[in-house]
Amino acid sequence: MNHRLEAGLATVLLYGAMAGVLIFFYVPIFTLIAFSFQEGRYLTLPFDGFSLKWYGELFRSAPALDALWNSALIAVAATLFATVIGSMAAIVAVRYRFNGKRMFLALIGTPLAFPQLLLGIVLLLWFSVLGRWFGFNNGVVTAIIGHVVYIAPFVTVIVAVQVASFDPVLEDAARDCGASIWEVYRYITIPLLWPGIFSAALFAFLLSWGNFYITYSLAGSTRTLPTFIFSGISIGSTPLYPAIATIVFIPGILLVMLANRFRLRAQKL
Amino acid sequence: MPEASILDIADVHKAYGGFAALKGVSLAVNRGEFIALVGPSGCGKTTLLKQIAGFEDVTSGAIHIEGLDMAGVPAALRPTSMVFQKLALFPHMTVAQNISFPLKLRKVAPADIAARVHEMIRLMDLKPEYLTRFPKALSGGEQQRVALARSMISAPKLLLLDEPLSALDVKLKKVLQAELKRLHRSVGVTFVHVTHDLEEAMMLADRICVMRAGRILQLGEPADIYYRPADPFIAGFIGDTNLFPITVTFRDASGISWQSPHFTAIDTHLPHAMVAADVSPGPALMMVRPELIRRYNEDESADFALSAVITEVFTKGGTVQYRARSTQGFDLAIELQGTSALPMRLDEPVRLGWQKKDIWVLRQEAV
Amino acid sequence: MEPEIARSWRDPELLIKALPSVLLQTTCFLAPLLMTFILTFQRTRDFQLRWTWDLATWIEIFSKPHYWTILIHTLVMASVCVVICILLALPAAYGLATRFKRIENEIKILITFAFITDATLKTFGWVLFLDKKGGANFMLSYLGFPPEMVAFLFTDWATLLGMVYNLLPFAIFTIYLSIDSIDRSLILAAQDAGAGKFRAHWEVTLPLCKPGIWAGSVLIFLLGVGVFLEPKVLGGGKSPMAAELIRQTFETRVNWPLGAALTLVLMVVAVFVVLLISRISGMRRAGL
Repeated sequence: MNHRLEAGLATVLLYGAMAGVLIFFYVPIFTLIAFSFQEGRYLTLPFDGFSLKWYGELFRSAPALDALWNSALIAVAATLFATVIGSMAAIVAVRYRFNGKRMFLALIGTPLAFPQLLLGIVLLLWFSVLGRWFGFNNGVVTAIIGHVVYIAPFVTVIVAVQVASFDPVLEDAARDCGASIWEVYRYITIPLLWPGIFSAALFAFLLSWGNFYITYSLAGSTRTLPTFIFSGISIGSTPLYPAIATIVFIPGILLVMLANRFRLRAQKL
Repeated sequence: MPEASILDIADVHKAYGGFAALKGVSLAVNRGEFIALVGPSGCGKTTLLKQIAGFEDVTSGAIHIEGLDMAGVPAALRPTSMVFQKLALFPHMTVAQNISFPLKLRKVAPADIAARVHEMIRLMDLKPEYLTRFPKALSGGEQQRVALARSMISAPKLLLLDEPLSALDVKLKKVLQAELKRLHRSVGVTFVHVTHDLEEAMMLADRICVMRAGRILQLGEPADIYYRPADPFIAGFIGDTNLFPITVTFRDASGISWQSPHFTAIDTHLPHAMVAADVSPGPALMMVRPELIRRYNEDESADFALSAVITEVFTKGGTVQYRARSTQGFDLAIELQGTSALPMRLDEPVRLGWQKKDIWVLRQEAV
Repeated sequence: MEPEIARSWRDPELLIKALPSVLLQTTCFLAPLLMTFILTFQRTRDFQLRWTWDLATWIEIFSKPHYWTILIHTLVMASVCVVICILLALPAAYGLATRFKRIENEIKILITFAFITDATLKTFGWVLFLDKKGGANFMLSYLGFPPEMVAFLFTDWATLLGMVYNLLPFAIFTIYLSIDSIDRSLILAAQDAGAGKFRAHWEVTLPLCKPGIWAGSVLIFLLGVGVFLEPKVLGGGKSPMAAELIRQTFETRVNWPLGAALTLVLMVVAVFVVLLISRISGMRRAGL
């Protein structure tokens, strides 16, 4: 086959596929953003007009703000715990060799491939049974725990990549210079792992912020943004929901760009 | 009497599970000397160095620095500084921050730190503008100097070097070897240098400690190691050497009597000083270094002589190396300076000889 | 990569770092799984859990074909989703790994963002797009097509679309990783031996990225059998899949043992299918 033609065909195929995939990914996102500007009450086309009034509505809607608050609270808490626990596990997974390491890796890695809904259900059962015995209800705390279980393995994977490129001899050198264990962590280990930890933390935040399945099962009657939106999905809803969606998108895109900048900086080291 | 030995290693063993890395090593290092630990990989030299530094513990035995027992003392608290094989410069800190790190940990005042850092870069011949750069931006040789500066800034009692020059190319290596020697002379700190390159050790060290399979084979000055090795392994560790099989027929306090079919000799008695202490009647080896053999004319008198044919000629710039096969079937190595001696040619039959003062008799078996 | 340091469990460095993860996953993952298993042997009566220990639940599961049709449907949907995802992901991931060097980072950001955003929001967006009076029909009628042409919302096809949409990033990610790790000089060697560009990639890249394809497939399949959002929202809840069934069992019927049992069955069957396929492909590779 003519090489020139072949190469040209391949290029068209590849670029076309990538472009197609990207367009595919952004169809619903742009649809939502577009609909948030709908003037009228209904989510149908053509629009009655363009306006920002539903954004205003959003800030006056108590349940929406409540859901926003819950999402933020749970996300911050889950990020904190998942990042700390997951980062430590990453150091263990990459650096150390010990008895039962295979089981350890399986244990911390399985939640990654476990369908979220089922994870949520399994945890729901567990917490409900425990709740009966110990007298507590599902709510924000159980949602946080559920998020951490699901998110910590992601953190571990991301930080592990950073740990792998970190030469432990640097820690030896620091000790030789006179550093105590804490000083080694403070001046060497954490600064060098920080890009990985930071991007993992951002990733964790976004995973928690956008999580539906686990929150749905575990938050009890508390609502976060995703579950709140779920309750409002139907054509009969108002453009309030697309407005919420757009608001949710914004921190997402900012954080993703931030995480990427850190990842690039980490690679340069 | 003031304690001259700054480092005392007493019967140190190190075992990893079933594997014995060090099998009873004892060594006393003098204050201010430059001592090299040399040996092939796996001989335990790096393990010993790490034990001195405090990164490995001692399975049995003791290490004393300036008379103080180092058992249980972690690396951070020992008066030692190490230069790592991979340099281990902190990539996220500038050169200045790297060098000043030990002082910063000791909470020295910033003004004093700055003064010391400048002192160090002058000592190491580094340009001041490098201070704000990151290690990545410096060349291999410059990074070495930064690593040395960082190790020296805390005025350690012992400087431990873990094969720091092994990854460098030949030219740079020679430059830095000279630097190290100069540094040692000007600073006066005790250096313990680990290397697998005996030539490097001979160039740098006051004393050399040859190790193999977890034991010390020989400890002595470079000339001792080179001209009077304790066993054939050490003899062969540095380039070529000639080890003629001989039979020792008699040994007493004055020396030995020997015989060998490989060459003719004026007399077959050797004084005590030319024989290793552990040689006893029986098979042994007589060593002559290649540069001490030359061609003798038929009418010249040589203490030892044999006939051979030149089998190979290698020219190496200012020296020429020859291989010759003797009439007894022994392969010799000869090294001559440029054009001073009579040149020899390939396939030429020659009479080779050497003098009595240049030989050494050692035992036949290596450890 | 540096060699690992051996540590024992008594070393505080290891213990402090590993313990939280171990505790977390044991108490909040393994233990719940165990509890789920135990629950399958209990019963409910009057919407209350009763701690009997019998096989009533299991008998019910195996005696009602209804559950199994739903299970088969779920497995089929997940499998089709895998195939479509891999086909779409291959050219995209390949292009990302080998070309697009200048805009590679921007593309990665775009994909990551789309992936990270809330699934409910995106599914909602699809509803608005695919509805009779939604975005797709609006644009098409603008271009002259008949009105309300796009009418497959609330069918299995819409569900499939949603599943592919949400799971495609996984395939792109795993395939990208494995292509990225292929030694470039292998391609050059093939070309040096006379293969054209296309042939070189067909012979070298494709076989070598099989691990990526396999990892992506397994991931998508396992996640796909558990989807709930897409069938309910995009499929209109008309053709229930396993997860929806499970949810109903819990919420509407409050039959925990049954729900637990269905969950376990789903997981076991899914893992079984994965193992079966890997065994078969392993045998084929071994030449059987």
